[in-house]
Amino acid sequence: MAGIAVSTTINGDITEYLCQPDETLLDVLRDRLGLTGAKEGCGTGDCGACSIILDNRLVCSCLVLGAEAEGRRIETVEGMAHGDQLHTLQQKFLEHAALQCGICTPGFLIAAKDLLAKNPDPSEEEIRFGLAGNLCRCTGYDKIVRAVQDAAIVMKGA
Amino acid sequence: MTVHNIRVGESKRGDASDGTLAEAVGGRLSRVDGPAKITGAAKYAVEQQLEGLAYAVLVESTIASGKVRAIDTASAEASPGVLRVLTPDTIISLRTASDWLGTTPPDKPYCPLARDITFSGQHVAAVVAETFEQAVAAAALVNVSYDETPSIVDLSDGKAGDGIAIDAMTKEWGDAPAAFAAAPVRICAAYNTPREYQAPMEPHGLIARWEGDRLTVWEPSQWLDGMARTYAEWFEVPFENVRLVSPYIGGGFGSKALALSHGAVAASAAKMIGRPVKLVMTRPQTFTGYGGRAATRQTVTIGADRDGVIQSIVHRGVNETSIDGMWVEPLGSVTSIMYATPNFSSKQNVVRVNSVVPGAMRAPGENPSAFGIESAIDELAYEVGIDPLEIRLRNYAEQDPHAKKAWSTRQLREAFAAGAERFGWSRRSPKPRSMRDGNQLIGWGVAAGTYPVRRAYGEAVVRILADGSVEVESSSIDMGQGTYTILAQTAAETLGVPADDVVVKLGDSRFARAGVSGGSRLAGVMTGAVHKAATSALDQLVGLAISDPRSPFHALQANTLVVANGRIGSPRGDGPDVSIAELLKSVGRDRIEATGDTMPANSTAEDRYKNYTTIAMALPHTEGDYSRYSWCAHFIEVRVDEDFGTVRVSRVVSALDSGRLYNPKLAESQWKGGIIMGIGQALLEEGIMDRRHGRIVNNNLADYLVPTNADIPDIEVISVGIPDPHSSALGGKGVGELGIVGVAPAIANAVFHATGKRVRDLPITLEKLI
Amino acid sequence: MRDFSYLRATSTDAARQAAALPGAMLLAGGTTLIDLAKCGVAEPDTLVDITHLKGLDRIAVDERGATIGALARMGHVADHADIKSRFPAISEALWQAASAQIRNMATIGGNLMQRTRCPYFRDPANFAACNKRVSGSGCSAIGGVTRGHAVLGTSEACIAMYPGDLATALVAFDATVHLGERKLLVDDFFLLPGTTPDREHAIEPGEMITAIAIPGSAAARRSTYLKIRDRQSYEFAAASAAVGIEFEADGRTIRDLRVALGGVATKPWRVRAVEDALKGKVLEPETVRAASLLAVEGAVDHGANHYKIELAPRVVARAILKLGETA
Repeated sequence: MAGIAVSTTINGDITEYLCQPDETLLDVLRDRLGLTGAKEGCGTGDCGACSIILDNRLVCSCLVLGAEAEGRRIETVEGMAHGDQLHTLQQKFLEHAALQCGICTPGFLIAAKDLLAKNPDPSEEEIRFGLAGNLCRCTGYDKIVRAVQDAAIVMKGA
Repeated sequence: MTVHNIRVGESKRGDASDGTLAEAVGGRLSRVDGPAKITGAAKYAVEQQLEGLAYAVLVESTIASGKVRAIDTASAEASPGVLRVLTPDTIISLRTASDWLGTTPPDKPYCPLARDITFSGQHVAAVVAETFEQAVAAAALVNVSYDETPSIVDLSDGKAGDGIAIDAMTKEWGDAPAAFAAAPVRICAAYNTPREYQAPMEPHGLIARWEGDRLTVWEPSQWLDGMARTYAEWFEVPFENVRLVSPYIGGGFGSKALALSHGAVAASAAKMIGRPVKLVMTRPQTFTGYGGRAATRQTVTIGADRDGVIQSIVHRGVNETSIDGMWVEPLGSVTSIMYATPNFSSKQNVVRVNSVVPGAMRAPGENPSAFGIESAIDELAYEVGIDPLEIRLRNYAEQDPHAKKAWSTRQLREAFAAGAERFGWSRRSPKPRSMRDGNQLIGWGVAAGTYPVRRAYGEAVVRILADGSVEVESSSIDMGQGTYTILAQTAAETLGVPADDVVVKLGDSRFARAGVSGGSRLAGVMTGAVHKAATSALDQLVGLAISDPRSPFHALQANTLVVANGRIGSPRGDGPDVSIAELLKSVGRDRIEATGDTMPANSTAEDRYKNYTTIAMALPHTEGDYSRYSWCAHFIEVRVDEDFGTVRVSRVVSALDSGRLYNPKLAESQWKGGIIMGIGQALLEEGIMDRRHGRIVNNNLADYLVPTNADIPDIEVISVGIPDPHSSALGGKGVGELGIVGVAPAIANAVFHATGKRVRDLPITLEKLI
Repeated sequence: MRDFSYLRATSTDAARQAAALPGAMLLAGGTTLIDLAKCGVAEPDTLVDITHLKGLDRIAVDERGATIGALARMGHVADHADIKSRFPAISEALWQAASAQIRNMATIGGNLMQRTRCPYFRDPANFAACNKRVSGSGCSAIGGVTRGHAVLGTSEACIAMYPGDLATALVAFDATVHLGERKLLVDDFFLLPGTTPDREHAIEPGEMITAIAIPGSAAARRSTYLKIRDRQSYEFAAASAAVGIEFEADGRTIRDLRVALGGVATKPWRVRAVEDALKGKVLEPETVRAASLLAVEGAVDHGANHYKIELAPRVVARAILKLGETA
């Protein structure tokens, strides 16, 4: 099968792939590129587990076509740590036990990264509503809020 | 497992509530599988990349009752990329497998694709194609025609009848009806809970691969050995030929413990096309592909004296089951043990409806049971004019009222005290509608919860390797509850090595066997098994050090040695001090290995197989002299908008008795998770039925509402447990199920306090209060 | 999803031409379209991607009003400082819609084309009858699960609720939609179901939404969007109200009032009866509550959605009174 040739930047690396017109970006990332950090919880934009950042916009990759990513810049959870150096949010999620089964976790981390990039000093309410597009069922909401608050303090001081 | 490849970089010491080292049992060690999960490196079952993978997609029935007349597969077969279309006529024949009790079924075939339709959403066909997208497109082209017959929609259906009496659920003592009739204060009410769904964030799915007559299944699983048994029986291959792999599980809540029909379809497809096959349910399919919590109806009558002391409880319960399956949700489980009463009667029926067979969902039985009794006692409190907390203490059960045995430990009084103190319960204004903030009516509610301590036997392998590191192996699992972490802590403490030097390997049925991770039993079972195996490995290690002529300790002629922080020395600190690696090198060993199991000494191989692949050998929680339960008390504040009827939970304080906590940091997460799921149950969650079609129509995460972060307030949990030696080897009781039990009634009670309206049907949606 | 071909439009004109072909649909964010394609509702032969077209995402605001390009993302508009200050109801409506992710994806033009969440509309495999999908096939919702269905603007052919928030605020403030040169009121852009519920928008083949324009007004400047729902976030409205108010110099007498309802009707629902009843009156809670009952004049329930008839006037009253408090 021929496909659509797409050229993107993923986590800073220029990445080219072929995909079918009806393939979502989430499926491209997971099945073609082996980047399985973004998860599929619903496939219809209702849970946020597939969250990635596309050209500085936090999006659900299950509702983006692979073909739409042409020329765009993609950030996934796999790009958050630098080598062994975890991102502050990752560090704080660990410390605050803000994860359990781990399916929602990459989406939460990416969404929290986007949130803090736009609002470095969010109130608790802004965090709770800002991250309301990411469902967690285990559920770590309370601890996730504490982790993001703590990360915000560290990141502001950095 | 790559979980230790990334250094956590935080202090391992300190941060322990009771002075315990973080990495010892009872310490607040951070999740050891965390680094893999937060970096995206953790590969879940269906994320394995295999050569030649084909994709299967299910086709489901669109009627609730009837027969499949014909399936036209021509268009689907002609669709691009399609490898095979499976129907009841073309799928390979399987053999019926035993149930989870191990009951051997009659020797009859099993077809995971249905000809006789008993519920909407039943699997009737499947399409296998080169790509997922092709399989989806072709599945839409499979044309199924039916002969439809009338269906029984739910408990309220006129055709449903009274159902089947489940005599084993009957619990009676004294003369409850007579005592009720004679009681000066009597209350009687019916409580209903709807179908609810586990909705783990990871949908069900699997990859199946055959190599000759050996089957490998990568599937999220709460019970590898139990599911391997089912696959082996379906396909009539030896148990040892089936390997289940489930390194991480994206939540289960009871729904991932059994091999289900979609698994049979995928494994059949893989066998038929000679290639590995991946099948993942769509989110809508997860609402009918397996069972959520059964809808329930309970009637609770309480007779009491004017001081609120209970004289009699009469309880009747009904839950849904399917047309051809049997699910009993034990509705009298909390009713019969929470309060002291001289007279008691509880009976239960199940009613067959056209639904997928319901299944286990977090605290099956105890959860809806608590909604009934914990709402009813609140009603009694208002009836007699006694504080809802005080009435619970007045009827406190000093022993198990049903089993008539002493509690192993029951810190419920302590839970009430700690929770009330922290919540500020004494400042509560007793009258309904007496607390408000502008348009918001404020209500405070309390309810208790409990869950039995389920016990079983476990097995683990502990290896000390040449470099001094330690491996723990078990086919038990971690679906987020923290098994990896607490087993690392157990091995580290027992062996005297840093937790960082312990690698725990779980989720592969080739490892030492394990029973089900369900009913909050796994932590107690597995810490006991690992403790035993590690103790045995330590004995071997010290034995070598003392007795091997090549050991630096040989000349000491010591009776014992001490291992701490990965080094061996004499108890007095004199003499040699060597690392475990140095010792093993000196005595010429590349490893020490010990298998520990907690089975009775005379157990046969058959006993072991039965123990790990069925639940038939689980130990009753009332075995011997004690009755064993975990306990909790929830104190909850709600705000109800007086115009809109919207309920928001604004504060939660819960005090819980799970015995000794192996890792408080992770146990708190489990408790909070249960509480949050309880908030969803109380206010949002309900499968909504189209009665004409017998179909749940809100089968997605936009319409089946689970709480979002914005719905959740600050939640405080307080541990009031003490080590319970009768419940487990290391003193813990159950954690995972406990937190949800009692949350819904605490919220309903708070809503009554806020509004004066008693809502007895969950969820408490705005139209019930407007 | 059914197999389709994917085309990146190189210009607005090319997009219009490509989208005019049978089976072609514009892709302008995809939060509705890809979702519905996965449900088997949308079955495009070709998707014409316009999200990268330049110049269609501008937001221009001055005292005369706001012009918002069709490809501006919902999230950007919600956060735009001048929209927040001059059209708070617009910002609040957007901010309370969906999730951060969806708001970052969905465009304003695409949002106007959002389809209903009626579960029968979304499930063609199980419910063949849906006049919105297939004209004349019947309505599965009538007699079925109706908790989320409309009580206003319904017909015997369709009771599907319009789920959007933004358009509710737009109709309150007389916004227009630009289809290239052709301009029409947003209120007229959305069609009542009548006997043709399959036709939801007054847009012709070959037309494309290029912008929306919202006239500036004192009422828009003092406005709010109140959305009531079961879940605090990430849910469609049980009932919502976009309200704007302008007082006379006394600060108490209502000179201008705009009221529109969401979550209860088959299209964004302007309620002039409430506006007319209160204009010229002094803002008093009892007066406002009484007038707000007019918001649901003519409402018809289908059982489980009856609560919306009770709820909607209370939402309107609360929103008006809230604006009064800030006087």
